[in-house]
Amino acid sequence: MQVILEQIINGLTIGSFYALIALGYTMVYGVLKLINFAHGDFFTFGSYLGYTVLVFAAAFLTIHFGLWGAILVAVIAAAISIALIGVVVERLAYRPVYRAGRLPVVVSALGTSIFLQNAIMMIWGPRFQAYPSELIPNAKLMLGGIQVSLLQVIILVMSFLLMGTLYFIVQKTTFGAAIRATAHDRSTASLMGININKVIFFVFTLGPALGALTGVMVGMYYRQISFTMGWNYGLKAFTASVLGGIGNIPGAMVGGLILGVLEMLGAAYISAAWKDVFVFIILILVLIFRPTGILGEKVAEKV
Amino acid sequence: MKKCVVLTGFLFLVLAFGNAFAAEKTVVIGMQGPITGAWAYEGQMAKQSCEIAAELINKKGGIKSLGGAKVVIKVEDDAGEPKSGALAAQKLAVQKDVAAVVATYGSSVNEPSSNIYEKFKKVNIAYGSTAVRLTQNNLKYFFRTCGRDDSQGKFFADVVPAKFNAKRIAIMHDNTAFGKGLAEDTRAALDAMVKAKKVQIVYFDAITPGEKDFKVTLTTLREAKPDVWYYTGYYAEAALLVAQARDIGIKCPFVGGNAAINDEFVKIAGLDIAKGCYMTNEPLPVDLATPAAKEFLAAYKAKYGNIPSSPWPTYAADAVNIIAYAMDKTRSTDSVKIAAYLRDKVNGVPGITGKIGFTPQGDREGVPFYLYVVDAKGKIVISK
Repeated sequence: MQVILEQIINGLTIGSFYALIALGYTMVYGVLKLINFAHGDFFTFGSYLGYTVLVFAAAFLTIHFGLWGAILVAVIAAAISIALIGVVVERLAYRPVYRAGRLPVVVSALGTSIFLQNAIMMIWGPRFQAYPSELIPNAKLMLGGIQVSLLQVIILVMSFLLMGTLYFIVQKTTFGAAIRATAHDRSTASLMGININKVIFFVFTLGPALGALTGVMVGMYYRQISFTMGWNYGLKAFTASVLGGIGNIPGAMVGGLILGVLEMLGAAYISAAWKDVFVFIILILVLIFRPTGILGEKVAEKV
Repeated sequence: MKKCVVLTGFLFLVLAFGNAFAAEKTVVIGMQGPITGAWAYEGQMAKQSCEIAAELINKKGGIKSLGGAKVVIKVEDDAGEPKSGALAAQKLAVQKDVAAVVATYGSSVNEPSSNIYEKFKKVNIAYGSTAVRLTQNNLKYFFRTCGRDDSQGKFFADVVPAKFNAKRIAIMHDNTAFGKGLAEDTRAALDAMVKAKKVQIVYFDAITPGEKDFKVTLTTLREAKPDVWYYTGYYAEAALLVAQARDIGIKCPFVGGNAAINDEFVKIAGLDIAKGCYMTNEPLPVDLATPAAKEFLAAYKAKYGNIPSSPWPTYAADAVNIIAYAMDKTRSTDSVKIAAYLRDKVNGVPGITGKIGFTPQGDREGVPFYLYVVDAKGKIVISK
C-alpha cells in the first residue's frame, strides 16, 4: 500500500511538470489554433537561465535574500526573460505569417524551435549542465509512513497553486472571459470590442513564463539539464494537452496529471521498457471514443 | 688508379660486413593496421607499440632458441577499410619470411583479412576486433589478444556477485544496441549460476534514455530488493539513476558498464553520490601494473613522450610478445607450428595486459577487465 502511494506521488510529480508545460501549448492553441513547437525550447531556455542565475549570482543573492530568496529570484528572472522572448518570437516569427494560413505558422514554429535549441547549445555548450547541489534543499519528510522529499512537496504545491490561479483568471475574471471568447471565435470577439492583440500578448507571456518556471523546477529537482531536453518534455506535454482536450485549460492540467500517472502505472506494473507503448495505447483508445480529448468540448464546425 | 682499387676494396669490405649484418638472423612479424584513414590515430599507436615490443625483445637477446634472432616488424596499412585490409593481408600472407601477423583493429576489416591469412595458413592475431562472430567461423589461424563484446558480461558474472556476496542481482539497460547487448550477455553469463541457484536475477528491465525521472522504475527496483545493481547504459542516465535511487532508499552497490561512469558522471551526480559507485572496464594503459607493462610503458614513454591513450595498442604489443614467445618455444618460424602451440600450449603466459591464453576458438582466455570505483576525491581508480 505504501509503495503504491509512493508511486502515485512519483507519477503526480512527473505529471505536474507535464501539466505546467501543456498549459503553454493549450493556451496558444486555444487562441491562435497554432501548435507552438517552440514551447519545449522556452522550457529549456528557462531552465538554463535559472541555472545561470543560481551559479553566478548565488553567493550574492543568498547573502541578501537567503537560500529560498535566491531560488525565487532565479525563478522570477527566468520567467520574466522567457516571457519577453515569447513576445519577441510571436512578433517576429508568428505574426507576419498568420494570414498565410495554418501550415506556414507551424513551419515557422518548428524553425523557431530549431533556432532556440541551437542558440542554447551555442551559449551553454553541448554538454550536460548540473544545478549546483549545495543550493538545493535536500530535506526529507515523512507523510503517513511514506517518505517524500521537501522539493517534491514544494513542486506539487506550486504546480497546483499556479494551475488554480490560471483557472481562476480564465474562468472567473472579465479578461478570462475575453480569452475564452477569443478562443471560441476570434473575429466575432473582435467585433464585440475585445482587444485580440492584448489576448495574444497575454498567452505569449504567460505560456512561456510557465514553461520557464517549470524548467527551473525540473533543473532543481533532477539537477541535470541538457539543451535537447525540451523535445522530450515538449512531446509529452503536447500529448498531455491532446489527451485532456487541446485548447481547454483545465484539460491540459488533467491531461498532464493523468499522463504522469499512466506512465507510472506502465513502468511500475507492466515494464519500464514498454511504458510509452502502454501510455500511447491508452491515448489512442481515449481519442477513439472521445476525439476531442477528456475535457474537450465538441465545437461546431465554423462555416 | 691505386685510389680506385682501395676504394673498390673498401666498398667490398663494406658490402661484406653489410652481408654479415644481414646474415645475422632475423624473424619477421607482420603488422596490419589502420596507419591512415579514420582510425589512423589508433593504427599509429599500435604500430609504435609493436615496434617497442620488438625492441624490448631484441634488447633482451632476441628469440633465444633461434640463435638470438632479432624481431623485425613489417607494417602494412589497411586504412581501416575492408577492401584495403584484404590487399594488405594478401601482401603479408604471400611473404615466406613473415612468420605471423598482428592484424588488425576494426572487426569489419578483420573479417576479410583473416580469411586470406587462413588460406595461406598464416597466424594472425587481432588486437582490437571485438565482434563475437569473428571466432565462430572455425578459423585455425585466427587469434585475438583483446576481449570480445560479451566478455564484459562474463567478467561481471565472475567477479561482481562474489565481491559483494550478492545473491539477488538487478540488471537494467537503456534499450540501445550496446546497452541491451551488454545486459543480455550478462544475463547469459549468469545463467549457470542461476541454474545452480547461487544467484537470482530479481530485476531485468530498461529505462528510456533522455528522460529525467526514473523514480517509478526505481521504486519497482527497490521492491525487488537487489544486493547489487548493474546498469549497462550511458553516463547521463546513470548519474540521474544513482542520485534518484539513493534518494528513495536503494542502498545496494551500483555497478555501471564501461560507458556508465566517467568524469561527467561524477559531476552530474555530485561527489557524495558518485563516490563508491563501481564500473566494469577494460584496463587503461595507465592502470596496467604487471612488470611487463611497466617496462613497456616506460619504453614507450621514453620514445614517444606519452603512454598510449587507449587500451588497444597494448593488446597489439602483447600479440607481438606472444608470437615471439611461441617462436622461441617451438624453435620455429613456421606458422602452422606456431598456431598449434598458441592454441594448445599457451596458457597463463605473463603479458603486458595480464596473463595470456587462448580458447580452442582463438579467443583470449581470461580477458582482462577491471572493477573500477569512484574514490573519495571523485577519481576513477581500480577497486582493490
